[in-house]
Amino acid sequence: MARNLTFHIFRHNPADPASTPHMDTFVLNETAAMTLFIALNRIREEHDPGLQFDFCCRAGMCGACAMVINGRPGLACHTQTRDLPESITLLPLPFFKLVGDLSVDTGVWFRDMYQRVESWIHTTRAFDPSKREARMANATAEAIYELDRCIECGCCIAACGTARMREDFLGAAALNRVARFRLDPRDERKDADYFHLIGDDTGIFGCMGLLACEDVCPKHLPLQDQLAALRRRMAGTALKHRLPFFRNVRKARPAKA
Amino acid sequence: MPNPPQYALQAPTTTGPAWADWLQLCTGAALLLFMWAHMLLVASVLLGPATMNALAGLLEATGLVQLGGPCIGLLFLVHCVLTARRIPFRQLEQRAIWEHARLLKHRDTWLWLAQVASALVVLVLGVAHMWTVLADLPITAAKSAARVQRWPWTLLYLVLLPMVELHVAIGFYRLGVKWGFISSRRRPLGVKAEKLLLVVCLAIGLLTLLRFLTLSVE
Ligand code: HEM
Ligand code: SF4
Ligand code: SF4
Ligand code: FES
Repeated sequence: MARNLTFHIFRHNPADPASTPHMDTFVLNETAAMTLFIALNRIREEHDPGLQFDFCCRAGMCGACAMVINGRPGLACHTQTRDLPESITLLPLPFFKLVGDLSVDTGVWFRDMYQRVESWIHTTRAFDPSKREARMANATAEAIYELDRCIECGCCIAACGTARMREDFLGAAALNRVARFRLDPRDERKDADYFHLIGDDTGIFGCMGLLACEDVCPKHLPLQDQLAALRRRMAGTALKHRLPFFRNVRKARPAKA
Repeated sequence: MPNPPQYALQAPTTTGPAWADWLQLCTGAALLLFMWAHMLLVASVLLGPATMNALAGLLEATGLVQLGGPCIGLLFLVHCVLTARRIPFRQLEQRAIWEHARLLKHRDTWLWLAQVASALVVLVLGVAHMWTVLADLPITAAKSAARVQRWPWTLLYLVLLPMVELHVAIGFYRLGVKWGFISSRRRPLGVKAEKLLLVVCLAIGLLTLLRFLTLSVE
């Protein structure tokens, strides 16, 4: 039952002025339990040593190998060729900066995004290294861990129609980050603080609910429910801001939670 | 990073986009309710022209048509202005979303494009429909039948009906997933509801149109 697989692979080196974007075709015989990771390495060994693509963990844990596989963003190391037809088209993730061929730079974008959503614990409490760490309920820790599983592969951004139409859109990975810190009892930020970060059309109100993020996330993060909860929270924050009674309460409260 | 962190429990800087989303939810939901009520009222002709005339007469005697008509028109306008923020008018955006949808082959992404496309049809044809009806009160089964039977209104209604029902069904589903009435776990159910809504509303609408087409105009 060995198939011959035909790979159509995007080629371009933006650093080389002579390079023009085009597709190259390679044929490989399929082997048992072949993943795209194996296939791409064989292509590089047997056909073209210049082919650029990224891999690190090859176990679906680092997010380096995300690419567009027959139209859908996904992890190459996690995709078995037996789940694909004989003709396989591989493109680099859109939206991110192209390094060359199938390799894109997700790192700079994620780094910038983490700064935009201030992806760290905000606390006024002084750190005391001699004291024990404060305890956290197990259920809370697990809920946080569920959202911390994001591997920064960028698939959700590449699949998002909103992100494709406006480059400054934060996307599901970023909104998921905010959802994660909202759960963290050590973070003293309130919804009004998060509103500053995501309460506009580059954040939660730019999302049109196309749910491609939810459908392509290789780690199956609960993105849809996080987005909906954030929308309700942030919309509620704007509403409360209009109520004079609430505004007074806010002003009167000391900055510490 | 500044240490201690310089965050403050201040009021949000701009709440415009949040209000726009609120209003989009409210106008969308209100228009949905109106369209379903509208569907049932018009479908009353299936029980006989007399039933429809009685209902229309009741709504007019209570002033609901005279008051409600312009209100719906206003809702329609506000909804258009709000959602127009999302419509890709620039060619660059159009190409991006079209290429994206073609490559991704993702149901909900296509549905959004269907929603935008149907919206433009509803905008033009819907306004024409509202204008003639409101300019020629009172509403009676015979007058409606005469219009449906007169070319090119027949064509207009045959196009307007599926476009409205498409837009309504997708809008219902989209509101649900955006705000969380339809959770991730219940999304398959939401999709089923969306399809059922489309089929049922389309069936009722088509039956109603058919009845108008065969109704005596005298
Ligand atoms: C028949 C009356 C209409 C009903 C019942 C209706 C209902 C809805 C609903 C419930 C939504 C989802 C709202 C949301 O995502 O927040 C929606 C979205 C939309 N509507 Fe309408 N609508 C109607 C007419 C129109 C018209 C005339 C236009 C023309 C401009 C329009 C344009 C849109 C667009 C572009 C969206 C997508 C917005 C987005 O994704 O953010 N609609 N509609
Ligand atoms: S649900 Fe929102 S974030 Fe996710 S793909 Fe759609 S528009 Fe993008
Ligand atoms: S949320 Fe999912 S798709 Fe998005 S970057 Fe994280 S792991 Fe990848
Ligand atoms: S190589 Fe690490 S996720 Fe694929």
